[in-house]
Amino acid sequence: MKNWHAFTRWLIALGVLHGIVLCAGFFAPYGPSEQDRKSPYLPPMRVHFVDGQGHFHLRPFVYSFRLRDGSFDQYEEDAAKPDPLRFFVSGWRYRLFGLLPSGLHLFGAETTRVYLLGSDGYGRDQFSRLLFGGQVSLLAGFLGTGFALVAGLSIGAVAGYYGGWRDDVLMRVAELFLALPWLYLLFALRAFLPLAVGPLQAFFLIIAVIGAVGWARPARLVRAVVLSAKERDFVRAARGFGATDIYLLRRHVLPETSSVLLTQAAILIPQYVMAEMTLSFLGLGVPEPVPSWGNLLSNLQQYSVLVSYWWMYLPALAIVPFFLGYLGLASSLQERGEAYKIERRGLGRLT
Amino acid sequence: MKSDVSISGRDAPPILKLESLTKRYTKRRLGGRGEELLALNGVAFLILPGTTMAVVGPSGSGKSTLALCVACLEQPTSGSIWFDGRDVMKLPENERREIRPQIQLVFQDPANSLNPRWNVLRILIEPFVLQGKIAKEEMRQRAFSLLERVGLSSRISERLPSELSGGQRQRLAIARALALEPKILILDEALSALDCSVQAQIANLLMDLQGSLGMTYLFITHDLAMAAQMADEITVIDRGRIVEGGPAEEVLREPKHESTRQLLAAVPRLTRANAHD
Amino acid sequence: MLTFLFTTLAPGNYFDEMRLNPQIAPETVAALRAQYQLDRPLPVRYLYWLNSVVHGEMGFSFAYNSAVAPILLARARNTLLLTIVATLLAWGIALPLGVWSAERRGRLPDRVLSLGTAALLVIPELGLVLGLLMFAVRSGWFPAGGMASVEFESLTFIHKVRDLALHMTLPVVALVLSALPLLIRHVRAAVADVLDAPFLLAAQGHGVPKRTLLYRYALPAAANPLISLFGFSIGGLLSGSLLIEVVMSWPGLGPLLLEAILSRDLYVVVGGVLFSTLFLAGGNFLADMLLYWADPRIRRESSLR
Repeated sequence: MKNWHAFTRWLIALGVLHGIVLCAGFFAPYGPSEQDRKSPYLPPMRVHFVDGQGHFHLRPFVYSFRLRDGSFDQYEEDAAKPDPLRFFVSGWRYRLFGLLPSGLHLFGAETTRVYLLGSDGYGRDQFSRLLFGGQVSLLAGFLGTGFALVAGLSIGAVAGYYGGWRDDVLMRVAELFLALPWLYLLFALRAFLPLAVGPLQAFFLIIAVIGAVGWARPARLVRAVVLSAKERDFVRAARGFGATDIYLLRRHVLPETSSVLLTQAAILIPQYVMAEMTLSFLGLGVPEPVPSWGNLLSNLQQYSVLVSYWWMYLPALAIVPFFLGYLGLASSLQERGEAYKIERRGLGRLT
Repeated sequence: MKSDVSISGRDAPPILKLESLTKRYTKRRLGGRGEELLALNGVAFLILPGTTMAVVGPSGSGKSTLALCVACLEQPTSGSIWFDGRDVMKLPENERREIRPQIQLVFQDPANSLNPRWNVLRILIEPFVLQGKIAKEEMRQRAFSLLERVGLSSRISERLPSELSGGQRQRLAIARALALEPKILILDEALSALDCSVQAQIANLLMDLQGSLGMTYLFITHDLAMAAQMADEITVIDRGRIVEGGPAEEVLREPKHESTRQLLAAVPRLTRANAHD
Repeated sequence: MLTFLFTTLAPGNYFDEMRLNPQIAPETVAALRAQYQLDRPLPVRYLYWLNSVVHGEMGFSFAYNSAVAPILLARARNTLLLTIVATLLAWGIALPLGVWSAERRGRLPDRVLSLGTAALLVIPELGLVLGLLMFAVRSGWFPAGGMASVEFESLTFIHKVRDLALHMTLPVVALVLSALPLLIRHVRAAVADVLDAPFLLAAQGHGVPKRTLLYRYALPAAANPLISLFGFSIGGLLSGSLLIEVVMSWPGLGPLLLEAILSRDLYVVVGGVLFSTLFLAGGNFLADMLLYWADPRIRRESSLR
């Protein structure tokens, strides 16, 4: 199958991206909550190889910032103090993959803090927060998708396999869920659940809500596959050998759904990451101080931030390579599954 | 319309007897109005053990429904199916599950009846796995002997159905059907999807198997010529009803019903052959 | 059309899930609850609410201290304005582009367009909106949010229109850009499917000119999936409008809903969702009607019943 190449390429690319986020502790110079009240809203530092005197240094370095005379939030580089970057430095301790304790970081500067992407109002390094926030947002996307797919699979399988009134009822309910504008639905569901919860609970809450909204489309697709699969003669033949329903579902029918589920996953994961970002941005998702790509952007709602501190916008673009990867994945999967032709849709922003 | 099926002089009791078998399909539509399809309407005939009964009819005459009902894979709306002296319809589900392995079905299109993701070995041992009565190693042994019996090489055991030819696939389907040593083998248009030469090969295989295993065949087809070659008795079905039946030579020589005559006319060789007699 | 029926059920569902978590002092709460009949059991509350709907009030908003309906209506009008304009614009761009691209499928213009839509697709909506907002602020060409300038009332009619248009531009652009890539893709796919049909070749053989061919023959044939797409697109645009309205301070249902959620003004929330569902149902209904009118097969099928 020629499309294996395209598929694996995208998978590898995505794997690398996810890997970086997964090892956020290593790639990020600082922890997500490390504050430095003396350096609020620092612009991103530029990495130099040539210093003020025109000397070329092999080791890249940054300049620390100092306040420009006469202003209280304008910074300029202090060219007198080049600060070399060191690689594989020791820093604050974290747990790699949540298990292995380590203190190793990819890079860091000797005296000052390195702000690759600037800092926020509390002096926290945006670059580090970006990486850690990615962990949260991506995980939310994954788990939400998992939830929606599991729910969709079960409901679709029951509806398709048993048919009858179960099918009618379940599909009507699915239609109902599909008919409502999903963001409104998401918000409404979120509304009826407690507002001020701890980060962990908020996280799982969001996942639950996303799953509760998003099961309908996978359910319909699964049902279609199940309907056609159960009419196949090899299912009948197996019944002739004494197979029970559960066996038939497990061994013959459900494996047919795998391609649909995979394609749906590639489509839904980015959508749900987006959903988490939106919720957190508006304050309904993961609360401070836990970073997520959404709440990293939330102080852009303040006019002053929007106007003056452009680097605070950057987390919005963080997801772009991921979206790209998932888009590619979904496309290559769909080209593979052209033969099935159950439903042909692109990345579903229009749910 | 009842048919008079003559019992051609054998003393053994029929292995299969159908009485007033009726199957009605209703297509449900929300709002009450359902469409009804009467697939089988009062079908009755009997089959003697060790013989081949051909059920012939045009497309849409209900043949496949008949096959499914006899194999106990579909529930008839009314009527009875007597297998080995027991009325299958009246049995509880767990007993019916015991009966199903004894009546096996070979489907028309092996591409549809073999799971394309499973390899030959897996397909063959599935019946044993489902019955759960013998050990793993013994299952493999039996699978290989089945392959041999239908004339397939054991080398293909790792292959997928898509890597086999049409004839090989159908042999595989037959092998699988034989796995649980059924008493009746139903062949639902089993040869129709094959090339002529392959058809002949498989037909011969079936005849051999019947001879060596003493199987009873219910052969369903739209091709009267094939029925003529394979069957002892022929029953003609049209639009869910039996319209004619009897020993093969009789039906072919003196077709009484319009449908039979149409089927006969569709096979020019046969009529010309008859004309020569 | 069934969705229309079900929207009336929907509020019922949400109502049953209500769990009140007020943040104010318990005594005040008790008093308020008694006043707003919140201490009655759930079914009774629902009945009261239904009654209130019938009377055109749709429950009571705590925060605004008035009946819910008038608040909703004012906001709803703004959302509708935005959504309708965006829908028209989006489809107005997507249809010709999609058809044009389908006609040249496989060749360079098509690939370029595909790349372009892919590029747009991967930008998250949030990023898009915020980006536009930043652009507005930096360039000063467009007002950074809101629906009307401070001096609105004192402007002449023409200037009022211009002011409105200026304020509307960015949100509409955001909405359209977020919906466009998918729409174009689907239009292209639907038309490309149809273009392979034999009846088109026959018409071409008869010497029908290309443009007529595309628009009078191909497009109607592709109408079926496209009209369903239309229904879906309304849902998507509505959802998109929620975010955009909030970020750009456009006074529509979006910010209202958010505020209500944050302040636990539940009747407003329920009302807001209900309204948005009604819009969606209305839009789909429209789409169904369009389909009925456009596709003679459906007409014939239903007359047979």
